[in-house]
Amino acid sequence: MEQEIAALTERLAALEGASGMSGTINSEIFYWWCTALMIAIHAGFLAYEMGASRVKNVLASGIKNILAFAFMVPTFYFFGWYIYNSFYEGLPPSGAVGLPWEASMGPNLTDNATGIFWAAFTLFAATTASIFSGAVIERIQTAGFLILAILLGSVVWILGGAWGWHPTGWLLTEFGYHDVGAAGVVHMVAGFFALGVLINLGPRVGKFNSDGSANAIFAHNVPFTITGLMLIIVGFFGFLGGCIIYMPGEQWINIYGQPTTLSAFAFNTLMGMAGGIIGAWVKTRDPFWMMSGALIGIFAAASGLDVYYPPVAFVLGTFGGFVVPMVAVQLEKMGIDDAVGAFPVHGIGGMIGVLACGVFAGGYPNIDGYPPVSLWGQLVGATTMGVLGFVPGFLVSFLLNAMGLLRVPDHIQEMGLDIVKVPVSAYPENYTPGPVSVATPSGAAAAPAE
Amino acid sequence: MNTSPIDSWDGAEAVFTYADNPAMMGLFLLVALAITFGTIIIAAVHEKHAYNNH
Repeated sequence: MEQEIAALTERLAALEGASGMSGTINSEIFYWWCTALMIAIHAGFLAYEMGASRVKNVLASGIKNILAFAFMVPTFYFFGWYIYNSFYEGLPPSGAVGLPWEASMGPNLTDNATGIFWAAFTLFAATTASIFSGAVIERIQTAGFLILAILLGSVVWILGGAWGWHPTGWLLTEFGYHDVGAAGVVHMVAGFFALGVLINLGPRVGKFNSDGSANAIFAHNVPFTITGLMLIIVGFFGFLGGCIIYMPGEQWINIYGQPTTLSAFAFNTLMGMAGGIIGAWVKTRDPFWMMSGALIGIFAAASGLDVYYPPVAFVLGTFGGFVVPMVAVQLEKMGIDDAVGAFPVHGIGGMIGVLACGVFAGGYPNIDGYPPVSLWGQLVGATTMGVLGFVPGFLVSFLLNAMGLLRVPDHIQEMGLDIVKVPVSAYPENYTPGPVSVATPSGAAAAPAE
Repeated sequence: MNTSPIDSWDGAEAVFTYADNPAMMGLFLLVALAITFGTIIIAAVHEKHAYNNH
């Protein structure tokens, strides 16, 4: 009898071990595929950015975007992961975790988590760099761009992530900040960073007339831009999947430790997206803005994807899709040439998402006695993310401009960047445009947006 | 050449072949840093040269 009990106990322990390992590996697999899907975001931005460029700059725009991806990976390994894991209480750091010489920062048979989470966060970083990349096409120098992209992707946004997208970030522990889909920590930070850079970078040659009126600079390949935007939507399912935590054998939790489900994210992501398309269509009738509206709709619902009644997400998406194109028009009237609408779409779309969560999720409890979600907490979070994005972008681009590393000389812009910097031609058999419509929808910016 | 820090998997944890000690890890980390940031400097020089030639 005792021998049978001992044998059963041994088998039970073996089964528990196998079940635990299966859960660990399933978790690893989940984030592996989230990361793979997120590469579609970068592919989408690449397509959009090249499509939105003129023929003379199309490959230079592509090179810039590809390089942003390439430089984000090592720099996030060198210091991005350390910033996330060590600066959650603010400045100075609370510890020294995530440094590149740790045993967890490479092949380790006892650690199935660090690499896969590092990879997912690296792709979040690449997303921020891509958002910024589109805004500055056709007139930024490569070296200056790379410095700014590294600053945004491997320092600034992840500092915001440590503060507001971390289980013990100070925005959560002090203010109950809630931003499960990263409307603030990714989109606001990147959008406001882009705005800070655009002020110093200046417009593309020919964008504005001497009286301040704007000229439309048309995308050379509209279908490519629309396809790119749709690819970004695909990638966002990986992005948002990577925003929640797979707990083997237990219910999902969000980044703040609150229970949630992937189903909640599915409901509200799709409803927000659909609302954004409809809102933008009603306002502009413009396919660029309709697909940008899809993104805006997701961002407008992103902070509360885990808690909203889906029609709330739909209404928020519709509101964002309708309002944000008007911000783009105002930005252009202010003399700022945001070539793809990065600030309106990501900066303002993200801000709508963060603030809406204070209204439509106010009072939602946090764990460990942290303050519940509130409009005040969301206001503090939105302000923090806006300032955190804008100030470094403005200051460092100001310095780069003073050093002659920011703006491509005007005569080079007129020639086109590809012929000066790229050893191959995008369309060697000559690009033959069809009849061109110069009409722009009422109330819409002349340039497309993403 | 044997670059493996282990000859069995019993008790194995972090396994970084070739760079299995602080000196080699530091060396490769420094080289990777130099490639990353040195390339940006080279890009700036190349870009200025290209602009000056047009």
